Amino acid sequence: MTNFPKEALARLGYVFLEHQGNAQFRLLSPAPRWLSKIWNITGEEGSTVPIAEKSPFLLDFLYEADSLLGSGADATCQSEPWMENSASGGGIPLQAMAFQVNGKRYLALQSPETQFKERTQLLQTARESLLEHEKLLREIQKKEILLHCIIHDLSQPLSIMSATMDFLAEESLSDKARGILDLGKDASHRQLSMIQDVLQVFSADLKASFEAEKGADFAADLLQCADKAIGGFVPVFSAKRVSLSLAPAVDRDASWRVRGEPTRLERILSNLLENALRYAPSGSRVTIGLSREREFVKTTVDDEGPGLPAGMSPSQVFVLFSKGKEGGGKAGLGLYFCRLTVERWGGTISCESRPERGTRFWFRLPAAAKRGSSPESGAPNPEIRKRGEPQVGKGPMRVLFADDQEEIRLLTTYQLERGGHRVVTVANGQKALEALQRETFDVILLDEQMPVMTGLDALKAIRKQEKQSGRAVVIALTGYNTDSDRVRLLNAGFDGVLGKPFSMKALEEMLRLPVSALVHLNPERAGNHGAEPDLLQKLGGDEKLLRKISRTFLRDAPKKLAQIRDAIRAKRGEKLAFSAHALKSSAGIFGAERALKLCQDLQECGRSLRYAEAPRIYDSLKEEIAKLEANLRGYAGLKGLPRAGATPKGRRRVTGSRRKSK
Amino acid sequence: MLQKKICMLGAFAVGKTSLVRRFVESIYSDAYHTTVGVKISNKLVRAGGKEVTLVLWDLYGEDDFQKTRWSYLKGASAYLLVADGTRRATLDKAIALARRAGEEVGPLPFIFCMNKCDLASDWDLDPDWEARVSALNWTILRSSAKSGEGVEEAFLRLTRKTLGL
Repeated sequence: MTNFPKEALARLGYVFLEHQGNAQFRLLSPAPRWLSKIWNITGEEGSTVPIAEKSPFLLDFLYEADSLLGSGADATCQSEPWMENSASGGGIPLQAMAFQVNGKRYLALQSPETQFKERTQLLQTARESLLEHEKLLREIQKKEILLHCIIHDLSQPLSIMSATMDFLAEESLSDKARGILDLGKDASHRQLSMIQDVLQVFSADLKASFEAEKGADFAADLLQCADKAIGGFVPVFSAKRVSLSLAPAVDRDASWRVRGEPTRLERILSNLLENALRYAPSGSRVTIGLSREREFVKTTVDDEGPGLPAGMSPSQVFVLFSKGKEGGGKAGLGLYFCRLTVERWGGTISCESRPERGTRFWFRLPAAAKRGSSPESGAPNPEIRKRGEPQVGKGPMRVLFADDQEEIRLLTTYQLERGGHRVVTVANGQKALEALQRETFDVILLDEQMPVMTGLDALKAIRKQEKQSGRAVVIALTGYNTDSDRVRLLNAGFDGVLGKPFSMKALEEMLRLPVSALVHLNPERAGNHGAEPDLLQKLGGDEKLLRKISRTFLRDAPKKLAQIRDAIRAKRGEKLAFSAHALKSSAGIFGAERALKLCQDLQECGRSLRYAEAPRIYDSLKEEIAKLEANLRGYAGLKGLPRAGATPKGRRRVTGSRRKSK
Repeated sequence: MLQKKICMLGAFAVGKTSLVRRFVESIYSDAYHTTVGVKISNKLVRAGGKEVTLVLWDLYGEDDFQKTRWSYLKGASAYLLVADGTRRATLDKAIALARRAGEEVGPLPFIFCMNKCDLASDWDLDPDWEARVSALNWTILRSSAKSGEGVEEAFLRLTRKTLGL
């Protein structure tokens, strides 16, 4: 080594120093250029330099190294990279290594510019991709929420209109009246078609999924998608020293075509890979597997991480805003998106801890039909619906009805009870399961979209529990009212599907009820622009029901108003649209048209993120709701509600004050 | 002269480096440059009639690729905890980091900055986020490295905290 040119070390960006004690170091090799650029040190070899006091980072590192090397054994200690400012501006990356040989302590400093640049670039790319991905997820969620709002807005009045016309059709009508009724029915059907159009115009993603079910041409090649996802993720995985590959057992010559749309399928794989990477330890492997299971193709993503947290069920993993351990995930949308999409395509998705180590996420999709065969051959047989239709028999039944909209629960209950049935209503899937623990039912009606637990999740739990007790008849109520959605829900295990808006006739058919057993009502009569209906009359003279609906409104309206106010203050567009929609539905029951219009305006503000005019509209809405509340209190009070003081006669009707105000 | 070590903590891309640059150099850039490792800057301030040199340790943001090295907090007098109002997950990350910092180095004074308040109309936070954070007894500031809002105040209040004022 005596002939080793020490200048080479300086050229490579290294400097070696020997610890002299008291934070003093002696230069063992020539000073590289960066040493003078940062600390103005140009000392000759052998000179002592006060390097430690020049850099707070180095001082901390040496302090840490002291404790690590204190044992006396030969050892090394390396720092993370850090940046020092050069005198001329800009930063210079450095890395330090302290070591001990034969009892003497040394310090090596290096400026690893090339490696630092590469690492920075890699991390920059990976983080920019993550930011883009987060942004995309937010956009998708926003779109889904908007779509949900629109569908509900259109569906609810239509549901009531259809029910009313079905009821009228049972009455004895003149030919002229029947002709007018037919016109109304036509209009109702046209609006239903418009809802389908809205679905397609507002959601290219949904449209893609509907198209995917029309035939084999819209199928996606899972192997291609997996290859593409692997290619895209390898740099990110490499940065964390995790290997990513396709399982060797996958037959590349086999057909891996499934029903679905390639872009969304790639997004599903990306979400699962991103999730695997989050928990995969450095040096481990993540593997994508494909296997055929009869008419389905199963895709697996295996990691070697810690597995699912104890006590966490797979269904919890896939709910909206669910995050990993200690909030390790991001917005909690990725896996929710995967579930929505896979289920929409008639598939299933889940996860489990692997016996050896790590977690397996998997999804199963129907294999696509071969090209040239019948367009329907790859899709689940639509006849399954007929086979699956409930045969619950005639006569009075015990019905469990789950829907998150209280007004819908009250009205449907009213109608079913008029038909002689006994009805238990609940607000979500979890409550439905609790009701099933207490008693048995002839038929269960589950709304698909409910908070706390969706109808689909509740169905899964019911089917799981009934293995011992016999199969229950479960009907889905859904706002996603397309053929593909019906197929999806039937495939999921429902015995029947009622698209919202559903007519009472459809419900009767489903339940095998005599039509005449039901009485319909129309709280929001079409074409009613000023002639106010008598609410009590509308409710078939049922004072009890009127009191109940009024109490519900009086109880909930202030909360709903407060939610609107908070959403305006926080400038939360979706929340504002949602809250205004909820209040609109309630006000609609009582035909409060001015309040309806103001709710509609606020919904628009929320959707278009226009907040400037929202406070003014909110103030007007508050006044309208106050009027409505006063009317309802008066009305209900006269009918015996426990409220002190008499109410003026003019306020008996909901419509009284509105007449006055006009 | 007094020296106080201050660390910057938060998820990646919340604006820690931008806050430091705005405070130290009065510079702001819209471009996102990820921080690798640690960058140290100094700034002389006056607080409570004393001159204090703040030694600002701009630590890389924590994510799946880089985990916070808690030894960097040793010897720190305080830290500035930062989240990005346009990304709700960064608030959860800030809460987790503060908890972890307490476990690793014991109680340290800190101030929480909900950053990017120039983009307040794009904030994606639950309406009750402030109540949620207040319940933790944190000092909350809204800041923007772009407009400069709250930046000086955050560092000066933090300095006063380190002096027990």
